[in-house]
Amino acid sequence: MKVLVGVKRVVDYAVKVRVQNKSVDLNNVKMSLNPFCEIAVEEAVRLKEGKHADEVVAMSIGPKQCTETLRTALAMGCDRAIHVTTDLRTDYMDLQPYAIAKIFEKVAEQEGTDLVLLGKQGIDSDCGQTGPMLAGFLGWPQVTFAANLEAKDGGIQVERETDAGTETINIPSLPAVVTCDLRLNEPRYATLPNIMKAKKKKVDTIAADSFGIDLEAHNEVLEVFEPPQRQEGIMVDDIDQLVDKLKNEAGVLA
Amino acid sequence: MRSLVSKYLARHAYRTARIKGSTPVATYRQPRHRLSSSSSSSSFHDLFNPTQEHAQLRAMLRDFVQNEVEPQAMEFNRTETFNLPLMKQLGDLGLLGLTVPEEYGGSGMMGDATSVVMVHEELSASDPAFCLSYLAHSLLLTHNLSTNGSETQKLAYLPRACSGEIIGGMAMSEPGAGTDVLGMTTKAVVLQHQDAMNHQNSWTLSGRKMWITNGTIDNGQTTGDLFLVYARTGPERQDLTAFLVEKDMPGFELGQQIKDKLGMRASPTAELVLDNVSVPPQNVVGEINGATLCMMRNLEVERLGLAAMALGIARRSINVMKEYASQRQAFGSDLYKFGQVQQMITTSYAEYMAGRCYVYALANRLDLETYGNGLDADGTKLYCAQMAKTVADRSIQVLGGYGYVGDYAVERLWRDAKLLEIGGGTNESHHKNMARDLKAMPHEIE
Ligand SMILES: Cc1cc2nc3c(=O)[nH]c(=O)nc-3n(C[C@H](O)[C@H](O)[C@H](O)COP(=O)(O)OP(=O)(O)OC[C@H]3O[C@@H](n4cnc5c(N)ncnc54)[C@H](O)[C@@H]3O)c2cc1C
Repeated sequence: MKVLVGVKRVVDYAVKVRVQNKSVDLNNVKMSLNPFCEIAVEEAVRLKEGKHADEVVAMSIGPKQCTETLRTALAMGCDRAIHVTTDLRTDYMDLQPYAIAKIFEKVAEQEGTDLVLLGKQGIDSDCGQTGPMLAGFLGWPQVTFAANLEAKDGGIQVERETDAGTETINIPSLPAVVTCDLRLNEPRYATLPNIMKAKKKKVDTIAADSFGIDLEAHNEVLEVFEPPQRQEGIMVDDIDQLVDKLKNEAGVLA
Repeated sequence: MRSLVSKYLARHAYRTARIKGSTPVATYRQPRHRLSSSSSSSSFHDLFNPTQEHAQLRAMLRDFVQNEVEPQAMEFNRTETFNLPLMKQLGDLGLLGLTVPEEYGGSGMMGDATSVVMVHEELSASDPAFCLSYLAHSLLLTHNLSTNGSETQKLAYLPRACSGEIIGGMAMSEPGAGTDVLGMTTKAVVLQHQDAMNHQNSWTLSGRKMWITNGTIDNGQTTGDLFLVYARTGPERQDLTAFLVEKDMPGFELGQQIKDKLGMRASPTAELVLDNVSVPPQNVVGEINGATLCMMRNLEVERLGLAAMALGIARRSINVMKEYASQRQAFGSDLYKFGQVQQMITTSYAEYMAGRCYVYALANRLDLETYGNGLDADGTKLYCAQMAKTVADRSIQVLGGYGYVGDYAVERLWRDAKLLEIGGGTNESHHKNMARDLKAMPHEIE
């Protein structure tokens, strides 16, 4: 089994983002591996360790700093990496899920991929579209929001999160696309020796505009704004005061 | 108390900007780790993270510390206990044998002082006491043995020390000899009869060692697993020899665990007693009467590690006071608006950056396999220890009463910082060494 795993470089989850010129300001902002992609990487590496996958290839689309993100994936155990280079923003402002899924389609075909593992969404744009679109373009079966994944007789069995709990889906034979949710696994820390070994692993570079794909954004972002500051809560003295406030100030009680 | 003070922390609103129309998704848990380095274009980035691997190491450390070290720090401080499982976890990450060659179970970062600095800096931003125990094991015992031990010794002990299977330290100080380390009285004498196997002499050690970090790792029941013990073996003051003394050697006993320390309370400190301990010749490390040089060389690394610990303490203290000052309201504004508070924050930052640049400038060009960097190893520790203590002090001041209690960690950091002015050499011993080195300098200071 050859696994292709998506690795997106996003604004770090702990950064308090600022809006400037109608988009999130990315200048001097700490960037890191999208947490959902990290879970996808972990799952791919476990498939390799469980002798189900022969090769795990990490792929990232974006500026040259994406090599840092790819090294992270390599330090966690991916075998090699593909960096699709572009200076377009990948947080929905320029390059959008349609084009990203198209690039993945090309690479998956070139690589002879059996299983594509992606995060269920990027924490920057929160679209959650790349996986489903990719499965559509490739004409492959897909499972989104994976909470458990097992390789089984040449196929995979995936438990997926739903609003009511989980459901189990069996894909009897590959290829397939799976997007990963939070409970799938707990990603490992890359050990120091593995960080050093990752240095020697191969990272191939391909320009995004060399695929002959339309990279244009087809949706236009009209406005990005910061939500209003949440007001501080107040302490009430007793139940009567609470009821009074709910009635007369919040207007939630008749 | 917790709910009262945590009110000020609870007001974070992370990642608040959203594309219009998109609904906020369910919150994801904090990722277990984020290796990719900061993309900050700050010109300091490369000084503090000279290679991409260093940047990855730092990112891994930040994550590990946030998820594993920070949550336990307050409790182990309060109960004055040692977190042995957490120490073993550092072995899994390849951090206990950072500078040890791979063939002995290490991570192979030989001579890389920068990695050493990073680990100490990052651990100390949450738990300097735990870091002190890490320092004693990884630098004073493991790195020391890796540098000065024989092939047989390295093969026998290093793999277990690197994995965390055994945890120990180094015993130099005595009840009656600290700064005046060459005044130590622990003696090793050659037994008259010869060791039948090797036709070499066995040694008998007797004396008492004081203040030994990791001297006990089971909260005062027995000794730690392995120690590099310095003892007097000749008539001259510098006639010292290093020995490997193992737990359970007859006559090697835990004197007492030293309790009620001001700070570093999660790092066990003990008095160790050597009562005619018979040590086989293969446990002699280096040359007989040749240990003074090894000791001085190891002290250089130790001081750099301690200086790095000061950086972690300072950074944390600044972040705490900055955050608090922005939130806390008084006289109709937040504290950040007051000039005196600004002075405390900004002066702290400038001093911290000065110290950090000094430490990394030294570490980045330092090869731990060499020595002779005493002046600046002393210098970084002398400056950074006092800096960290002062910065932690200002942080308490900015927080007022809330700084004086445990919840914000800065009172603990302040107590821990004080040790950096004593352990691994007192401020005064650095003055003494540096004054000697500066005077001996054949040229003007560049
Ligand atoms: C928590 C902790 C952990 C430690 N861990 C270890 C360990 O793992 N292994 C180990 O071997 N040791 C360890 N030590 C011991 C530490 O290295 C010594 O405490 C330190 O070297 C100072 O020695 P001392 O305490 O005997 O003080 P002293 O040397 O007696 O000093 C007392 C005071 O006199 C001053 N003084 C001494 N000589 C001079 C001089 N010539 N000129 C001016 N002033 C002078 C000192 O600066 C100091 O202010 C530890 C200590 C502590 C507190």
